[in-house]
Amino acid sequence: MWQMVGRRETGRLPPHKFRALLQKTRLYSIELAGHKEIASAHKSGVNSLQIDATEARYLLSGAADGSVAVYDIEQATAYDHSTRTSKHEALFMVDKRVLNGHLYSVSCVHWYPIDTGIFVTGSFDNFVNVWDTNTTQVELQFNMSKKVYSLSMSTLATTHMLIATGTDDTRIRLCDIASGAFTHTLSGHRDSVWVVQWSTRSEWVLVSGGCDGAIRFWDIRRAGCYQILDQQCSQIGRRPPVLKKSSRTHGREDNLCTKYLNASSPIRQRGQKRSFGISAVDSRTAHYGSVAGLQMTADGLHMISAGTDSRLRLWDVESGCNTLVNYPSTYIRGNKGIQMAVTPDSSLVFTPSLNAILVYDVWSGHSYSSLRGHYDQVNCCAFHPQGQELYTGSNDRKILVWAPRRPIDIDNFDYEDAEQAIKADEDAWSD
Amino acid sequence: MMKKRDLKSLYSWAGSIVASSTPKKTEKRAKREQSATSEVESLAQDSHQGSYEKEDGFTVPSDTAVALRMIHGQFPKIDKVSVPPFVLISQVYSIVKDRTLVDRELEVMKQDKDVRVFKLSTGQDDFAIMFFDDYVSQVNAIKSRLDGKHPSEDLVIFDWYINHILPIHMDAGITDFHLESILSGVGHQIQERHISLLIKAGLLVRQLAHERSYWLAIPNIGSLLKSLSQGRKELLSLLNRRQYKEVLLSILEKKKLRMSQLDMRFHVRDLLGSGQLFLSHTPAGILVRIPRD
Repeated sequence: MWQMVGRRETGRLPPHKFRALLQKTRLYSIELAGHKEIASAHKSGVNSLQIDATEARYLLSGAADGSVAVYDIEQATAYDHSTRTSKHEALFMVDKRVLNGHLYSVSCVHWYPIDTGIFVTGSFDNFVNVWDTNTTQVELQFNMSKKVYSLSMSTLATTHMLIATGTDDTRIRLCDIASGAFTHTLSGHRDSVWVVQWSTRSEWVLVSGGCDGAIRFWDIRRAGCYQILDQQCSQIGRRPPVLKKSSRTHGREDNLCTKYLNASSPIRQRGQKRSFGISAVDSRTAHYGSVAGLQMTADGLHMISAGTDSRLRLWDVESGCNTLVNYPSTYIRGNKGIQMAVTPDSSLVFTPSLNAILVYDVWSGHSYSSLRGHYDQVNCCAFHPQGQELYTGSNDRKILVWAPRRPIDIDNFDYEDAEQAIKADEDAWSD
Repeated sequence: MMKKRDLKSLYSWAGSIVASSTPKKTEKRAKREQSATSEVESLAQDSHQGSYEKEDGFTVPSDTAVALRMIHGQFPKIDKVSVPPFVLISQVYSIVKDRTLVDRELEVMKQDKDVRVFKLSTGQDDFAIMFFDDYVSQVNAIKSRLDGKHPSEDLVIFDWYINHILPIHMDAGITDFHLESILSGVGHQIQERHISLLIKAGLLVRQLAHERSYWLAIPNIGSLLKSLSQGRKELLSLLNRRQYKEVLLSILEKKKLRMSQLDMRFHVRDLLGSGQLFLSHTPAGILVRIPRD
C-alpha cells in the first residue's frame, strides 16, 4: 500500500492506475462490516433492495409482509461507542396499514431514477404502487391482475417514464407514470416473466427473462422482440477479432452461431441482427430452468444471467452469444427471482446462493470468496458504487453490510486503555 | 484471451520446435511416459484434421483433449451392455481446474466434430461427452441390429441422422421443427415412423418439458444411468455414515460399489467435479471428504 503511494509520488504510477489499483485491493477484501449496521425494520424476509441512482444515499427495501422501508446509509441515526459501529435505522416504514399499501409480499422496489421523491413497488397482491417519499402515501396504483415479480425503470430515460413489470402473466406491460395508463404490452414469453431490466445502453431497450428459460430483448419503439438469447450460440472470449476471413460465410472460426428460422435460412454470421418477426415456435432458451436474475454491466455491452439450473452465464449483448464463462458452484433454486450486483467497473459479480453470497470475477469465472453471514436464504444484493459496500437482504429479516477491511482507526485509538490492558496481563514475577 | 487461430499457430510453432530439436522416436517415447494412454499420438493426428497450420503431423493437443483421452481410456469394462466409453463433464472439471477453459475448448472440439455432448437425465447438470467416431459406429451397430426387422426405407433415417443431422446440429436437444427443416433442406421428407424408429433405437428421447422436442441420446445407456445415480448415492452415503465424513483415497479405491457397474474412480471423479466431494492432501495421503457447508 505504501509502496504504491510512493510510486504515485515519484510519478511511476499514473493517477488513474493508482485509483484503480486501490479500488481493486479494497474490493477484493470485502467482508462483514464491523463499523456499520443497518437495523432492519422488517418483521419478515427482505425480498428486494435498491440504492438510489442519484446520490447513492438512500436504501429502499421491500419485505415479504408487505412493508417497505427507507434507510439513510450515509448518515447514522445512532453511534455505539463500545463497539464503534454506526447504526442506521429506518427513516420510515410503510406497510398494509397505510391506505392502499401492499397486503401481500413486496417482491420488487425501485427508486424513481431522476430523484428520490418517488419510489415504485410491486407486490404479490397484483398491484404496482407509486409512492411519494415525503408524504409516504400511495399516489398512483396500477392493477396488474397477476402477481408482480419484477419491475424496472430506465435510468437513461429522457423521453419516457415507463415502469416495466414482469408478472405471472406471459405479457410484459409497461406502465406510464405521467398518464397513469398502460402504454405497451409485450408478448412473446411462454410462461411468467420473473425479471425485467432496462438496458444501460439505450433507453428503448428492455431485457426480460422468464420462467420458460428464455431471455428476450425488446425495443419498445417496435413490435415484437428483436433478439432471443440462445445458450447454444456461443463465442469464445469477449468479442472475436474482425479477420479478413470473417467475410466468408463458412469459415470455421466465425460461424459458431447457427440459427434456424426456416429451411432455407443460411448460416448467419456473428453480429448480424436478425430480422424482425420471429416465429412463435421459437423455443430457444438461455437456461435449462427459469431465468432468476439479470444484471447488465455498466457499459451495457455484456449481461450476466442467473438461472434456476444453478448457472450464471455471461452474454455479449451485441452478438447475442454466450461467452462460455463458467461460474462454478452456484446454487440457485426457488420460485422467484434473485437480485445480483455488479461493480461499476464490471470486474466482480455478487450472486446470492443459498445462505451465502458468492463473489466471482466477471471475465474468467474465478470464484474469489463466499460471503457468509446470513442465517437464511439471501434474496437480493445492492452495491454502493462510491463506498464499495455491498448490502444484502435475506429471508432471515436482516440487511447486512459488507465493506472492505478497515485499518485500525489510528486517531481514535485509546492509548491509555491499551496500556491498562497490557499492565493487567502482566504478572509480578514473569518477564 | 487466446483465440483459436492464435492457439493453432502457437501449437504449430511449438510443434516445429519439438520436431526440429528432438528426433521423432524419443519424443514419442517421452509422450507415452507422460500421458497415461498411448492414444495421444492418434489424438495428435486426428484432432486437428482440418488444421491448415499443421507441421510434421504433430500439434500440441489442448488440456481438455488430453483429459478426455485419459478418462476415456480409463472407462470401466461393462459386461452386459455394449456402450462405447463416454466421459462425464464433471470428470473433466475435476482434472482441468479452469472450467471456463474447459467449456471453451470443448466448444471448439464440438465445432470440429471431434466430440458430441449429450444431456443425461440423471441430474440437471449432467452432460456426457463421447467421441464422434464412437457414436457414429454405435449408430451403425444399431442400424445393422434392426436390419432384418424393418423395411429399408425406414432404416435410411439412420443414414440421414449420421450424414445430415449430426454434422449440422450441435446442440444436445432438437425439435421436430428443426429435424424437418434440416432434412427438407437436403431434399428428404421425414415422417412420424422415422422419428418413432429413432426413439425405439434410443437415439432420441422425448423431452418432458416441451412437446415435440427431444434430447439426443446415447443408445443402451439406461442401465448405466441407473448405475450412475445409485453409485453416486452409495458413495455419498458411505462417506456420510462415517464420523468425520472423510476417508483416505487409497482405502476408498479398494472398495467395490455394490449397486454400480461403473468403478469407484469414475464416481469419485464425477463427484469431485460436481463439487460434492473435496480432496485434501495430508501426510497420510489424499483424503476425500464431504464439505461441511
